Amino acid sequence: MSTEEGAKAIAERKIVTFTLRKQLFGIEMSSLLEIREWEDPTPLPSVPSFVKGVANLRGSVIPIVGLSERLGWEPSELHSRSCVLVVAIGSRHAGFLVDEVVDIVSINPDEIQPAPDAEVNDASAIAGLVKIERRTTEAGQDEAMCLLLELDALGLARQLPELVA
Amino acid sequence: MSDEFDEIQGIFFEECSEGLAVAEEGLSAMASGDVSPDVIAGVFRAVHSIKGGSGAFGHNALLGFSHRFENVLDGVRAGRIEPTDDICQVLLNAFDILSDHVAAAQSGSEPPADDDMLHRLDMILEGPSAGAAPAPAAPAPAPEPASDEFGFVPVAAQVEDFDPFGFEPVAVAIDDLVPAPEPAGWMVRFAPSRGAMANGSEPLLVVRELESMGARITGVDREKLPSLAELDPEESYLVWDLALPASVEEQDIRDCFDFVAPDSKVDIEKEEAVVVPSADVLPFDLPTLGAAEPVALETIAAPAEASPTVVALDLPKGSEAAKPAAKAKAQGGGESGQTIRVDLSKLDQLLNLVGELVIRGSILSDRLSPADQERVELPELSRLTRQIQDNVMSLRAQPIRQAFSRVPRMLRDLMAETGKKVILETTGETTEVDKGVIEKIGDPLTHMIRNAVDHGIESAEERLAAGKPEEGTIYLSAEQKGARIIVRIRDDGRGINRARVLAKAVERGIVPAEASLSDEEIDALICAPGFSTAETISNISGRGVGMDVVRSNVEALGGRLEITSVPGEGTTFTMALPLTLAILDGMIVRLAEQRFVLPLTNVIETVQPEPGQVQATSPSTEVIELRGKYLPVRRVGEMFGMGSSRPPEESLVIIVENESSGHVGLMVDTIDNRREVVIKSLEDNLHPIRGLGGATILGDGAIALILDIDALVSANGVGGKYAVKGMAA
Repeated sequence: MSTEEGAKAIAERKIVTFTLRKQLFGIEMSSLLEIREWEDPTPLPSVPSFVKGVANLRGSVIPIVGLSERLGWEPSELHSRSCVLVVAIGSRHAGFLVDEVVDIVSINPDEIQPAPDAEVNDASAIAGLVKIERRTTEAGQDEAMCLLLELDALGLARQLPELVA
Repeated sequence: MSDEFDEIQGIFFEECSEGLAVAEEGLSAMASGDVSPDVIAGVFRAVHSIKGGSGAFGHNALLGFSHRFENVLDGVRAGRIEPTDDICQVLLNAFDILSDHVAAAQSGSEPPADDDMLHRLDMILEGPSAGAAPAPAAPAPAPEPASDEFGFVPVAAQVEDFDPFGFEPVAVAIDDLVPAPEPAGWMVRFAPSRGAMANGSEPLLVVRELESMGARITGVDREKLPSLAELDPEESYLVWDLALPASVEEQDIRDCFDFVAPDSKVDIEKEEAVVVPSADVLPFDLPTLGAAEPVALETIAAPAEASPTVVALDLPKGSEAAKPAAKAKAQGGGESGQTIRVDLSKLDQLLNLVGELVIRGSILSDRLSPADQERVELPELSRLTRQIQDNVMSLRAQPIRQAFSRVPRMLRDLMAETGKKVILETTGETTEVDKGVIEKIGDPLTHMIRNAVDHGIESAEERLAAGKPEEGTIYLSAEQKGARIIVRIRDDGRGINRARVLAKAVERGIVPAEASLSDEEIDALICAPGFSTAETISNISGRGVGMDVVRSNVEALGGRLEITSVPGEGTTFTMALPLTLAILDGMIVRLAEQRFVLPLTNVIETVQPEPGQVQATSPSTEVIELRGKYLPVRRVGEMFGMGSSRPPEESLVIIVENESSGHVGLMVDTIDNRREVVIKSLEDNLHPIRGLGGATILGDGAIALILDIDALVSANGVGGKYAVKGMAA
């Protein structure tokens, strides 16, 4: 391996891609703990509607979040390929409901473009845009825009004062 | 640096906080008049070990400060400094700065400004003999030893980083014994073992510590240094000669070598330039030094006209025998129960597993026929499981003193800020509580104390005018009552000004203007979100996120907060907290087919209502008639927006007791069974939710939410601000 290739391998980041409303999204591979099938979680009172409830992840209680709603879109419709990405955000764990998991791809950080502001309600949740190649060429399209999510911005921890107010 | 280093450093900071706690306790005892030698020695030892560790980890600011602090404490210990009230106050303040230093070293932030405090400490040290000529500052670094290729230049420069230490004559006991000593000094020869660096006893740090006391390197023996080709950079080949001023105490020099690898060679010798002490006035007590006879080592080229008294500290191999005197002293000869440090998460895991075991046990028992349940193996098994559980719980139990210990410091700061005088009286510090509870009551406690000082205790003039003693008192107590810990914070201040509280609450729209509230209800208003009566925002309290946060925190712990106040006599905050956060005895109830856990602690009875027994008093409120009394009923399902449409006759009403609201009925669909559940917190991965005390995992793997009775019962209480919002799904 030449030094140039070596440097490139180090610089590349692996992301997991998935879809929400046909749109391609990506999160850092390193944050992903596991992918689970959708199971109805236990609903909670007094939480925003995007928190679908809590589920049992090997003995700990984790919130299940409708990612589509969290990003300001219509709730995902459940179907056979719906699944939950269990991710680590800091020391906390959460499950995100997504429409379909697509692939694991490597991207070059240099090719990430900043996200335009008005894209979603919570613009800070989009870390950037990147063009990735699709392995299956659907409708003749072999490249697609992928929205990289900033997991920290999707964190669910709320400070107490906000909660009781 | 490496993880291992971080880990060791982590242990150092843990020991620091333990040391600080000991020191503070001792200093507080001194301030209140107990100046027995044991107490003083305890404080000295605590500060001394902080100093030792800080040197080893290169926290120079902390090292410098703790060293000067220790000097004064040493003076007090030796009886040279009278521990008067004033001096104890200074020591307490110095302690506060020491805590800040430790915190700064731990967080890597800027060390606190300590010049003023150092000056005050020096004033004490100089004491009555302050007129004595100030000792010369530490000698300038020696002319460049011919060894600069080993990088001693930056080391020497480090001396400048230290405040020049004041080597006042008063610190030197030898002066009393040796007539007219000329400025001479100590010769130290330090030959680190070859493997010293592998053992973590970096010689550079020792040399630096010595330099911080005014040492200069007078020579380096490079004889053992191999050629570059053979040199192993991880081995230590050099032998250093250092000279220290005579004003340094030998013990201090030896302390620098506390943590040096056992097979390193350390020789400390006193060089008397002029006066040779006669045998019976040896400047120090030889037998205590470990090595029986003074042995002059040939390797030391004795200075020409000196008559050296050499003490060879040839540390024995094997760590049991190492640092014998110092270590034994550091332990204070006190009982040294064998203890180990265990990562808290391991205990948590163990507790979790035992909890699951208990639950499986009760499931198993449920599935067996009654005859089989009585078989001897099963009760025996559950008895053993119980015992394991109790034992694991006791491992996590800690005296509540840990939570109380931060209060004195805070009070001192508050007194300085407000100019009020406050005495703290604590009782029941030894009450043992689960570690998790201790960690979480710290903030509420802090806030309540702040409130008590800021709003409760009056100014000295106001107190005198009211016929009270000038100094206010805050009583902090803890006691165990059944499965709860009661923590009380009582002040003897002015009490809650109800008229003002009510006016403020109306002004802020928390209650309607025409509301007529009982005294208790008004007192409870101070916990309403967004309520703050402070006329001006002080930096102590009055930011408006005060008591409501306290209350949420306490409730998130499964506890209750109560306020009682007598105008003119003071206010009492009572926190009733669960002993453990881990396990709960509960009823599994159903609401719209979802299972919930209702804690049994407050349950009085369960009622199957007859038709007409539950009646509406308004579109949204109902009462149940029970033996001639009407009790309010809350439909839990509706509060959670689950739309329980069952008629009362097909529901069950569970009567619960609540200290603020009395008896209240909670309407649920059915009751499944009674079970012990392991509490899983929601805030680990989400955040606390009002109305819920957490969640648990049932035998079939499903999650059941644990109801928080107090929050549910008070949900329609004062102001309706606490109404539980609807269920999400």
